[in-house]
Amino acid sequence: MNDACQRYAEDPEANAAHLNACAACRAVYGGVETKPVNVDVLPLAPWEGAAYRAWPLVIGGTLTVLAIALALCAAAGISPLSAIAFDVQANIARASLAYQKLRPFGPLVFAVPFIAVNGILVLLLRRAPRGIDA
Amino acid sequence: MRKALLITLILAATLVTALVAAPLFKTPTSPATFSEAASMMTKTAVSVSLLFVWIIAAVVVTLMSAREVRYSSIEVRTSPLHCFALGLVAVTSFVLTGILFSYLIPYLVGIPLLAALGVFAVLTKVYGTIAIFHAIGTIVAGARSREVMMQRRWLRGDLAMVVIGVLLLGAIRLIPVLGLIVWSIASVFGVGTALATKFGRREPWFLVFRPADA
Repeated sequence: MNDACQRYAEDPEANAAHLNACAACRAVYGGVETKPVNVDVLPLAPWEGAAYRAWPLVIGGTLTVLAIALALCAAAGISPLSAIAFDVQANIARASLAYQKLRPFGPLVFAVPFIAVNGILVLLLRRAPRGIDA
Repeated sequence: MRKALLITLILAATLVTALVAAPLFKTPTSPATFSEAASMMTKTAVSVSLLFVWIIAAVVVTLMSAREVRYSSIEVRTSPLHCFALGLVAVTSFVLTGILFSYLIPYLVGIPLLAALGVFAVLTKVYGTIAIFHAIGTIVAGARSREVMMQRRWLRGDLAMVVIGVLLLGAIRLIPVLGLIVWSIASVFGVGTALATKFGRREPWFLVFRPADA
């Protein structure tokens, strides 16, 4: 395979004349039926344009939410940080309350559902994701 | 038959979860007194402050691993039932495992186990919810054709889809009762898709042993 053959293999459309000049390439590629593909007709792939970063939308959306949060916190008389801390503390308090109610049952009560639920979880996790192959 | 069984199981599991997780007290939908109005204002301020944190987290995670978030988003749109079932089972598993680990706290080994479980559960929920933001953004504002996408200046790309999703779900979150339900369902979907795709890496969780051919 010389350089011309290599160029034809890399870009057959740009080097179409090579096929008439080279018997070896004609023997290899001559029987291959090619059809021009109109890329615009193909459905839009999920990755197309995905890397684009719309910074005005991101910054605008973030600043709008920040402004609303600051205004609401000022109206409620709390700081944004204490609002977030309040939510975290409320979640921890809710979880510990549920834990205090459940703890007296003992570990054996939870052992059977633990094994059953984790068995189902393992079975569900064995399925391969479909996603881009669907 | 298998699909019908799966749907029935999911409906039954949802009903049981809703009965277990239902609040025992009535949530006021409209304030009657000044203190109730002030309480509602504080709740809204907390919700919007958290929404700001979610936006920052979503933007950072999407900038760091946009492809993984996109794969998880595609998975939840192609297999929603599987993701929801997996999410429900995973959340139940987190709770049961947490309770069982808590019995090990007196033996000291329970504390690191609980901490590891908590970190894993939080990471799964955060990553999965961001994937759900992307899925919702794509469903609502995603381009359907190449021409439409090229004409758009702002509404294209993973980052824009995630931000649209956060804003939409965040707005729904402010509705008193419905918001909590929708956000909880989105979290279940998120946990499901995060685990189904192994955080967007699309690798198997378990290795399969295959004997070498003779």
